[in-house]
Amino acid sequence: MLGRLKFVPMRILQAVPVAFGVTVVVFLLVHLIPGNPAESILGAQATPARVAALSKQMGLDESLPQQYLHFLSNLAHGNLGQSYTYQTSVLSLVLQRVPVTLTLVLYSVVLMLIISVPLSAWAASRPGGARDHAVRVVPLVGLGMPQFWVGVMLLLVFAVGFKWFPVGGYGQTFSQHLWYLFLPALTLAISVSPVIIRSLRSSMLNVLESDYVATARSKGAGGWSLFSGHVLRNAVIPAVSIVGVNVGYLVGGTLVIEQVFAIPGLGSLLIGSIQARDFPSVQAVALFVAVFVVVVGVLTDIVYTLLDPRVDLTRRIEV
Amino acid sequence: MKRKVLSLTTVGALAVGSVALSACSGGAAGGASGAQTDGGTPVKGGNLVVARAQDAKSMNNILTFDNTSIFTFEQMLQPLFTVTADGKGTTPLLAKGYTISADKMTYTINLKPGIKFSSGTEMTSADVKFSIDQDTKYASTGWGYINGAIKQVSAPSKYVVVVKLKHPWAPLIADLALFSNAVVPNNYGGKTMDAFYQAPVGTGPFKWGEWKRGQYLKLVANPNYWQTGYPHLQSVTFNVVPDSNTRKLQVQGGQADIDEYPDWSTFQSVGSSAVNAKTFPSTELDYVAFNEAKKPFQDVHVRRAISAMIDRQSIVKAVLFNHGTAANSLLMPGVPFYQKSTPGITKDAALAKKEMSLSSVPNGFSTSLLIPSGDASKLTTAQIIQSDLKPYNINVTIKQLDPTANHNAQQNMQYEMGLSAWTMDIPDPDEWTSFAVDPAGGAKSAYTNYSSATAIKLNREAEQTVDPTKRAALYNQLQNVTAHDAPLAFLYYAPFAYGVSSNVHKFQVTPLGNYPLADVWKSK
Repeated sequence: MLGRLKFVPMRILQAVPVAFGVTVVVFLLVHLIPGNPAESILGAQATPARVAALSKQMGLDESLPQQYLHFLSNLAHGNLGQSYTYQTSVLSLVLQRVPVTLTLVLYSVVLMLIISVPLSAWAASRPGGARDHAVRVVPLVGLGMPQFWVGVMLLLVFAVGFKWFPVGGYGQTFSQHLWYLFLPALTLAISVSPVIIRSLRSSMLNVLESDYVATARSKGAGGWSLFSGHVLRNAVIPAVSIVGVNVGYLVGGTLVIEQVFAIPGLGSLLIGSIQARDFPSVQAVALFVAVFVVVVGVLTDIVYTLLDPRVDLTRRIEV
Repeated sequence: MKRKVLSLTTVGALAVGSVALSACSGGAAGGASGAQTDGGTPVKGGNLVVARAQDAKSMNNILTFDNTSIFTFEQMLQPLFTVTADGKGTTPLLAKGYTISADKMTYTINLKPGIKFSSGTEMTSADVKFSIDQDTKYASTGWGYINGAIKQVSAPSKYVVVVKLKHPWAPLIADLALFSNAVVPNNYGGKTMDAFYQAPVGTGPFKWGEWKRGQYLKLVANPNYWQTGYPHLQSVTFNVVPDSNTRKLQVQGGQADIDEYPDWSTFQSVGSSAVNAKTFPSTELDYVAFNEAKKPFQDVHVRRAISAMIDRQSIVKAVLFNHGTAANSLLMPGVPFYQKSTPGITKDAALAKKEMSLSSVPNGFSTSLLIPSGDASKLTTAQIIQSDLKPYNINVTIKQLDPTANHNAQQNMQYEMGLSAWTMDIPDPDEWTSFAVDPAGGAKSAYTNYSSATAIKLNREAEQTVDPTKRAALYNQLQNVTAHDAPLAFLYYAPFAYGVSSNVHKFQVTPLGNYPLADVWKSK
């Protein structure tokens, strides 16, 4: 078993150049956008002389390569710099926001599975029937609707109308976090579930028609034991890859959702930082997201390998 | 470059020259006086929740420029004087009064004894001297430029502060009323500047509580507050709620008490049986800036013609839903010396045709109008202007840049026409007029390159004229000159909009935009 996980250290090493590449691209992109953090800070009071003075104080009068080298040098020491906006350590800002966004993403993955697995199984149990058509069509509405609109509608119905949930926010305790994050996580789950449902349904149909399921049935297996032991486990393998890819999409989705639901996560930090040209914060968030997506990719491969003994990612394939 | 020096006249008060002012009356200390809009017996306690679009940036009152930060630290840090409820004057706050020497070069300010910081330490003249000196020290990157006329501050005795000027400077008291001159403990109570502003200590009705950046900032009642019986609230929490719809829903659902700056498009729907949609007079002027460095805007006839083409009433109706008024002057009605009869150009087809015929481009031309992206009000305004100019063969392309890039383009004069706005920070016109008409003010005359010898002379004279009557005459002339020259096309005066829960009482916003909370209380 462990032998098949030998690819993991190499994948982690491969993440280093990816992260480095992200820092270069993000650094160049944020500096390409017109506008200066000093102007953003000084607002209407900005005059060219005062912008120049503040820029010098912030080290923005240095050349781009010099600024990038400073960034890399600080990064090597675990220092992501000072936020121009908050005048505090970027690392502390990011660390405050990471648990919020991670909780939201994981919560939405859980809700996505809760929605997708039963519906796809229900659809696959009567292929071509009314329920199958309904499950294939209705969730597509969720895919087609903009996330911010779905979010506002959920707020209007369940927070303002029924008053079952708060109108945005994050809460103070863990149980409050789960309560406050339910609607935003559901919004994200609704947007991703259609893809998972279609994938799972298709896999289940394939598995249900396979010889080993027929064999299991002939041995008397049926109901939940057949579904969980033979159908779901094999059907879920391709879906794992899709979930892994969509986690990156979910992280992107938090940019909008955190704004609508007033959630103090990485998405809202990134948007505010871009607007304020808070370069250190933008770079730090982009770096974290890049590393997170790479880690999710590695975890997806591990899960895939564990679920399917036939998969061996250490083996070279000759074409 | 001449630094922008603010001319802050204490209107009325200075008319009598060296007169000691009486203490503030009506309303609680800590803010505007006399604003009584709703009655009832104040209830002690409660947490006021303000939902705002952005988080505060910093509590450093001498280096921070965004309103969310300013409106927050103003609840903790108080200056010697404060703005009156109508926004047109000042009144003593931590000061008891002051006298002016015969040569108008020395101000002797008496402090109220017994005022304590939230830490329990008594405030003295040494604290005042340190605070003003610190502000002045950071003039190049902070607000300290407003102290440009100050030569020296001294503290001859425990409750007396003496301010010596470089030259007569009538606006000094109003300068001292700016939040950047708020009093903090001498030497930051032994801390570094950075450490102090992580949890600032002041004399205000509230003291530092907790800040979870991006989520909320909480202030709690200051038990050492020098005005007995205030504040009524136990705490104030400023929640960050970026989406305007969510802010509205939070106030309507009772999760928040105040919706700070609802969009005009949603303003009417903010009001309900439980929420009041309130407007407060402001000092906001929205205008079109003409870049005179680019042809044909160096031509006064072109600027006057365009000013006469714009239908301001349509803009007020479409953008503000009739909550504002068409602008007629460089100054705003909430600013001292505003002249109601200023002959600012309004929509006038005959005048537009006449000015176009006299201009360098009588047959029209093509140009662009720069606006910040993501601002629905500015986009609507730009579309109306585009439509208004079209019949005169002036083809306008609307160019949208994100707000920082938009500002950058204006600063670098990389635009032709641009939409912009200004709101006052202090109750004196000079903050704006020096910015708008004096190229030496550092902002190229509001980034228009407008340079009128007459306007510059009038503005500089007004800056140093102590007599309010003479000063009013100078500002009247300045308003007339700028109305004629049209370096800006004045569009409209917009009020401040708030959604306020009906259980919140005495919530008032001054024309400068700040809202003192010492008086505010919540009914059960």
